[in-house]
Amino acid sequence: MSNLLYKELRLAAHPNLYIFALLGMLVLVPAYPYGMVFIFGCLGPYLTMLYGRETNDLYFTALLPVRKRDIVKGKCLLFATAQLGQVLISLPFAFLRTRLLPAGNPAGLEANAAYYGFGFLVYAIFNFVFLTEFFKSGYKVGRAFLLALVPAVLVVLTMEVLAHVPALAWLDSVQGADLLRQLPILLGGIGIYAVAMLLTLRLAAKRFEQVNL
Amino acid sequence: MHMLVVRDLTKRYPKFTLQQVSFALRPGRIMGLIGKNGAGKTTTLKSILNLVRPDGGQVEMFGQDFYSHEESCKQHIGVVLGGVDFYKHKKLAQITEVTKRFYANWDDRAYAKYLEMFDLDPDKRVHELSSGMEVKFMVALALSHQAKLLIFDQPTSGLDPVARDDLLLLFRELVRDGSRSILYSTHITSDLEKCADDITYIKDGKLLRSGEKQEFIRSFQALKEPGEDGELTLEEIMIRSERRRYRV
Repeated sequence: MSNLLYKELRLAAHPNLYIFALLGMLVLVPAYPYGMVFIFGCLGPYLTMLYGRETNDLYFTALLPVRKRDIVKGKCLLFATAQLGQVLISLPFAFLRTRLLPAGNPAGLEANAAYYGFGFLVYAIFNFVFLTEFFKSGYKVGRAFLLALVPAVLVVLTMEVLAHVPALAWLDSVQGADLLRQLPILLGGIGIYAVAMLLTLRLAAKRFEQVNL
Repeated sequence: MHMLVVRDLTKRYPKFTLQQVSFALRPGRIMGLIGKNGAGKTTTLKSILNLVRPDGGQVEMFGQDFYSHEESCKQHIGVVLGGVDFYKHKKLAQITEVTKRFYANWDDRAYAKYLEMFDLDPDKRVHELSSGMEVKFMVALALSHQAKLLIFDQPTSGLDPVARDDLLLLFRELVRDGSRSILYSTHITSDLEKCADDITYIKDGKLLRSGEKQEFIRSFQALKEPGEDGELTLEEIMIRSERRRYRV
């Protein structure tokens, strides 16, 4: 498994994958719709898949001593690593902003527990739609991206709108009691992400088995 | 034991069918897979390797069923797909560093030896290599994990005569001690006159004949026209077998 991930990071990954993961730092911007961070977390893997088509990455991997489903597993590991990496990178900046910018984010949802919960949901939906669609053909990257981006953006828009609903002010808070109230959203997001990645691997691998390279 | 046994390999596409292709490759032999463009050579090789999903047939490699022992069989093969270059902007050293992790039998000393032998600079990027050098790099990777079966899809197409001759000499050398075999597809039949031991001929998705080269050539002598002396060459055999008559 580690060899697959190592191959993805060393050969398959486009440099933008790392740059977009670093954009987790954007939660330090005083006024910004932080939901965009998760869109960048989907854009990085997409560009890598586009780059993979240019570099014949799937062929290379298929000729290594691995099974066809391992190619899909490698991509799932890469997506998860990039996205979890992005979340980890953003966390210290989210803590820092509560100290440096206590006035909050006027543009949208605060970088709080609910925010990360929604973020995992965005990643989960994008990965499931994108990878299961892409591995139907092994080369239609643009179509898979468009199909996956629409629901991902809808979730981002929803979370940013919710932040402006007065009755849901607790969602947009970084106070201790409100963070506790948001905890189920975070845990739910993580749970959905984990289950979605397993389902993604299973369905995408099944579809890729039928693909003629 | 055969290196490779292919039995009734079948792959159906909407407008093309590879029909029950069968052949066997013994150790220490070079088999040329011939046929005109679109005959099914690449489909045969890709079906053998499970890159395309065959609709029927069996592939036995080193005595094992390939499809149920794919990972272990692939530990002992090296594949070069002609015209497909990987990671053009990466350095050879970087590709090697990743590739070697997947092979239990990787030998660093052998790799260094082949780099020197083939005059390959590990700091060069793939796009800086000529087509012939690209094939040699892939061969160096294959030999460094001690591949016993080398599968090449049109490795010499696009090469100049000197580079082709150089590769053919290398192929002969690779099988000399009997521990390796090579299966390679080509439509450059003169290459096979020089280096193949066996010929497998595919026409319109069907196996026309597979056998030892001289026997193969003799079996097609009925295609000779009255008054012709000497044996037909592989090229003449192919041309006469494929020739179409037009009535305009």
